[in-house]
Amino acid sequence: MKKLVAYITTGYPSLDFTVDMILSLKEVGVDTIELGIPFSDPVADGPIIEKANLKALQSGFKIQNLFDISKEIAPQIDTLWMGYFNPFYHIGLDKFISEAKKSKVNGFIIPDLPFEEAQPYKSIIENEGLNLIDFIAPTDSRERIKKIVSSSNKFIYLVAYAGITGAKHSEDLMPIIKSIKEFTNTPVYVGFGVNQATAKEKAKGVDGVIVGSAFIKILLDERLTNSQKIDKISSIAKEIKEKINE
Amino acid sequence: MKDYKDIYIPKATPHDPDSNGHFGIFGGRFVPETLMPILEQLRVDYEKVRFDREFWSEVDYYYKNFVGRPSPLYYAQNISKELNAKIYLKREDLNHTGAHKINHTVAQAILAKRLGKKRVIAETGAGQHGVATATVAALFGLECEIFMGAKDVARQELNVFRMKLLGAKVHSVESGSKTLKDAMNDAIRHWVTNARDTYYIIGTVAGPHPYPMMIRDIQSIIGWEAKSQLKSIEGVLPDKVIACIGGGSNALGIFNHFLEDDSVECIGVEAGGLGLDSKHGCSLAKGSPGILHGQLSYLLQDEDGQILEAHSISAGLDYPGIGPEHAYLKDKNIVTYDYITDEQALDAFVWLSQKEGIIPAFESSHAIAYLKKMRREDIEGKVILINLSGRGDKDMIQAKDILTDVTIKQK
Ligand SMILES: Cc1ncc(COP(=O)(O)O)c(C=O)c1O
Repeated sequence: MKKLVAYITTGYPSLDFTVDMILSLKEVGVDTIELGIPFSDPVADGPIIEKANLKALQSGFKIQNLFDISKEIAPQIDTLWMGYFNPFYHIGLDKFISEAKKSKVNGFIIPDLPFEEAQPYKSIIENEGLNLIDFIAPTDSRERIKKIVSSSNKFIYLVAYAGITGAKHSEDLMPIIKSIKEFTNTPVYVGFGVNQATAKEKAKGVDGVIVGSAFIKILLDERLTNSQKIDKISSIAKEIKEKINE
Repeated sequence: MKDYKDIYIPKATPHDPDSNGHFGIFGGRFVPETLMPILEQLRVDYEKVRFDREFWSEVDYYYKNFVGRPSPLYYAQNISKELNAKIYLKREDLNHTGAHKINHTVAQAILAKRLGKKRVIAETGAGQHGVATATVAALFGLECEIFMGAKDVARQELNVFRMKLLGAKVHSVESGSKTLKDAMNDAIRHWVTNARDTYYIIGTVAGPHPYPMMIRDIQSIIGWEAKSQLKSIEGVLPDKVIACIGGGSNALGIFNHFLEDDSVECIGVEAGGLGLDSKHGCSLAKGSPGILHGQLSYLLQDEDGQILEAHSISAGLDYPGIGPEHAYLKDKNIVTYDYITDEQALDAFVWLSQKEGIIPAFESSHAIAYLKKMRREDIEGKVILINLSGRGDKDMIQAKDILTDVTIKQK
């Protein structure tokens, strides 16, 4: 069975909403939650997720809120914190590690902490029994893939195209997937630009998909009530889970 | 055989970063994985030309014939008399396009062309870097797109028009604080998407490795020239070298060749804005180490590590971060850092205009203003070198709105 990872920006429209949303995603078969930490300067993200980050911050999101609501979420579904490195660095990685362990969060996804810069931190995180997810991009050489995936765990985040989240690009990933599989048995999940329409195609040859912008687009739709948002996002998640496993 | 003696070629310094771009704990490459192979390739490509005479002689041709280098070192006779010191201005304002930014855009465009890139992109604050990039793109036949915060588009409308006239496409960036920080975010997003055929000409000594080192190497021609110019006029080293700091390129450019001279004090002047208890751009004075735009350096940030908006009257200093080498030089106590407020900068803007007949850029006015902030004993009888990083033409519309006839007639 191929896995579905759902990215949700924390704290928009509200913290309660984030909790309800995720519990509903669990019911429809989402395997893992990427709980997004709003950041002022999300450079790897396209306009949709960027806007959700900004709105969450404008409505008063604080990192303490993330720690608090994770206690209601992570014990129920496999949860990773996804965020840019600066808040981790500024508040302190040790604080994030201890809070993650308290709330049963299983690890971190940090898109601006590539392999080389992650070195001082990766073993600290792993020694605490948490995961730091590795990224592979379509620009990576075979050599670089080998270097990165040799120490990978949980899953490898394969970026579907050179670009930012939520774009309509696609690239032939088969040679890259082949290289990764040559060097590791760690499952490969593909993310960026995965939605109802693209899921089946993008899931080819990999073990799972990561979906963000397709959900956040609905999260930002001002015409919908909160319960309509939860229903709609959950039904898209269900559809994607079916499509990748057809 | 060409004579290379008078050609500027960078040299390795004791402060060079390691191969991952770390200046002590600062610098590095904090970027999405997609960009890592691109940056690694650029590092290798730059290492190939870094000390290569042929590359730098091509750059030199354009410096001499297109930019108008060497820029003069001018003895500012009237303010020298007033302050009882010898004040020398390194006239980067006389460069083609009006600031030091053209130095590195010429060299980077030549590199980009060698690497077979067809397009260049850049972020810009004051618009000087955007204009300098659009200029070299026109010269070398490269497509050009410039990212500029919407707020800066409004306050630097002349430069926006210049960029368009030069054939560049200007994106007005509406996200975040709508200034330089956000322009750089959008430039990075565009670059991640188009990295394979697009060269990103970063405008200062910031960003992921190798940019901070590469742009410092290139801009160091300023201090290299000034040092020998001053030597032939006065026969001495300066006592102090002063420059304003946005990201820090004109400052490192003039400091670099003096960092190993113990008798020389280099002073970097940050934008004090409305004062340190209010809005400002003093990332060294008031910030703390953090990660933004691919580098670890001092940053203005809140307790959660969210980046704060900077403020300065000058768009080119309106940035919440600073190049990582400055962060390192500060912590090592190798360079002195201080600040100048909007008001002090404006006073200096008028002062230099009326005393010397030189209208400085708002950015450079911060460096000039520092002359009046120094204690008397630190300045009297001293030889002081100031980087006049740019001319004030671009600031005329903004200055006209702020300065009344009364404030202008201050003398
Ligand atoms: C004239 C001038 N001086 C200084 C700066 C600040 O940049 P840096 O600190 O990199 O020299 C700018 C930036 O636009 C500028 O236009």
